[in-house]
Amino acid sequence: MNPYNRSIIHLNVADFAVAVERAVDHRLHERPVIIAPEGAVRAAVYDMSNEAYITGIRKGMALQRAVRLCQDVRILPPHPHRYEQAMRDVLKRALPYSPLIETGEDDGHLFMDATGTGRLFGPPRDVAWRLRRQIKTDLGLDPIWSVAPNKLVAKVATRLVKPDGAYIVSAGEERSLLAPLPVRLVPGIERDDLLRLREFNLTHAFQVAALSLEQLAVPFATRARLLYEAVRGIDPSPVLPVGQKPPQVIADHEFGIDTNDVHTLESVLYGLVEQVGSRLRRRRRVARRIAIVLDYSDGMRRARQVAARPATANDLTLFELARRALQLAWMRRVRIRHLRLIGARLVFPPAQLELFAADQKADEKRSSLIGAIDTVRHRFGHEALRFGRTLAA
Amino acid sequence: MQTEQTKSPCRLWVGTSGYSYTEWVNAGFYPPGTRSGQMLPLYARTFPITELNFTWYQMPKAAAIERMRRQAPPGFRFAAKLTRTLTHEVDPDQWRGQASQYRDGMAPLVQARQLTAVLLQFPPSFSRAPQNRRYLAALLDELAGLPLAVEFRHASWAADRVFAELERRRTTLVAVDEPALPGLFPRLDLVTNPELFYIRFHGRNARGWRSGNMQMQFDYDYRDEELREWADKIITPMTRQAGSGTIFFNNHVRGQAPKNARRLISQLIEGGLL
Repeated sequence: MNPYNRSIIHLNVADFAVAVERAVDHRLHERPVIIAPEGAVRAAVYDMSNEAYITGIRKGMALQRAVRLCQDVRILPPHPHRYEQAMRDVLKRALPYSPLIETGEDDGHLFMDATGTGRLFGPPRDVAWRLRRQIKTDLGLDPIWSVAPNKLVAKVATRLVKPDGAYIVSAGEERSLLAPLPVRLVPGIERDDLLRLREFNLTHAFQVAALSLEQLAVPFATRARLLYEAVRGIDPSPVLPVGQKPPQVIADHEFGIDTNDVHTLESVLYGLVEQVGSRLRRRRRVARRIAIVLDYSDGMRRARQVAARPATANDLTLFELARRALQLAWMRRVRIRHLRLIGARLVFPPAQLELFAADQKADEKRSSLIGAIDTVRHRFGHEALRFGRTLAA
Repeated sequence: MQTEQTKSPCRLWVGTSGYSYTEWVNAGFYPPGTRSGQMLPLYARTFPITELNFTWYQMPKAAAIERMRRQAPPGFRFAAKLTRTLTHEVDPDQWRGQASQYRDGMAPLVQARQLTAVLLQFPPSFSRAPQNRRYLAALLDELAGLPLAVEFRHASWAADRVFAELERRRTTLVAVDEPALPGLFPRLDLVTNPELFYIRFHGRNARGWRSGNMQMQFDYDYRDEELREWADKIITPMTRQAGSGTIFFNNHVRGQAPKNARRLISQLIEGGLL
């Protein structure tokens, strides 16, 4: 397959969180909507509808200020599970068309490599249109779409047709599409690059494209190649196959009342550890990395991870690691709304024994204890046996 | 068979619906390794006209249309589908603005006198209901001045009052070749615009027609006799009623459209129509 004649489809459900909420509640259509945690003193806007955007509301803005700007705005709390489910539903409809599909982090973005599928499904633009129609009919979401020779140009194209529409970019049109655009619209060009470009009074892609790689290398050194290619619409990066993401085991807890009480959090954390540990053991895997994702009540998110050496599926060891990750992530006094525990980098249990006899004995005791708990729970149900620290939750 | 023909005064253009199909490289119409951006100049070596179907998927933009126009030789002609937001997904509050945008997007072709027709192709669900009749009339008014051709997919539009109104507006009724399925607009050889007739060959794949998959819907290879029947019984009479005519093959799958178009051109040359 000619790598320079690819057809990449990019689907983007604009204002994804709002779109998902509107699909659930039709009364939200055509009125300003904000997704933000209610009740928190310093809550920030997580997402908003176009109607809210027009009034001046922006992502990350303090909720109190947003409400002053648009007094009849409807405020909804974030529902991460809904967004994940919607993204899974979108992916399910895309899967029949190509094995090469990359989705964003539950943000309504999807790349599909439709190169070479024409004989089966027709021109990629028709696939994109049909997929959009199917998603609209089945899920009530209305993605904008583009077809372009690579991911970078496809992404720019969907930025140009917001909030609705479509854009088809043929091979050879990449540079002319990007030329008149401000450089801030070109993906991959970061904040520091923009500041440096502004120092040289370079604000648009065509101005940067007028420079050679050698000229760009003087101020941008190792970033020069990326800039040189980005403003010309060159992006050889592949669309990764579905399922390329390494498997993870995830457990979540959403607090009914936001909290910053250590005991409550650790109690909930242990419950999550039990869920993750149990699923790991059922799959006969151990995790080499433990991550915590915290959502604060003002909408801020923070994630931290720690390595498990050796990899483990034992609740007691997992809890020590999870607590360490929680301490790293929990750096603010703002109350916490949502806690997620992730067991990642799953591998088969290590065959190698501990070097020292004492460590070996301690490990065996822990394994025996958790094994016994699993046996009891398997026979009498999960609630038959609980750790004291989880009773406080 | 006639040995000496007098060329018809009706100017005919034959081409295909769309030209950018990578599978036409495999079918041998384009040389191996041809990129989609290189296809139009190669296509124009064989055919004098194409029907743009990407304008159905996205609103045409004048700059992109001009870039495309410059890729083709000066005498090359274009027909262009009207955008889906004006035929299939109409928003009652937005469509007039969309029509205005479409007109702006097409301006380079109008100015260069290379636009043969704008194709208004309506979906099978677009029946001759009162609200659809009113919409069609308003849309034709909004697009007045452009060379318009209307293709119906619903049989209810096959009515004398419809044809009379199209004649009054000098708007072309598109003649179609498609599978003989119930409910589809019938095959007619009516000329409602003395300046232009417009024919589309969709193929006769009855099994694939309602599959929802273009690769099945338009997978058909016309036999010589089928094309000959059209040339003799339909196209020839139509050329006597109009100053020009354009014919497109939409059965793009596996390069059948350019193959059938070339075959029809040969037959039209033999018949003295080209």
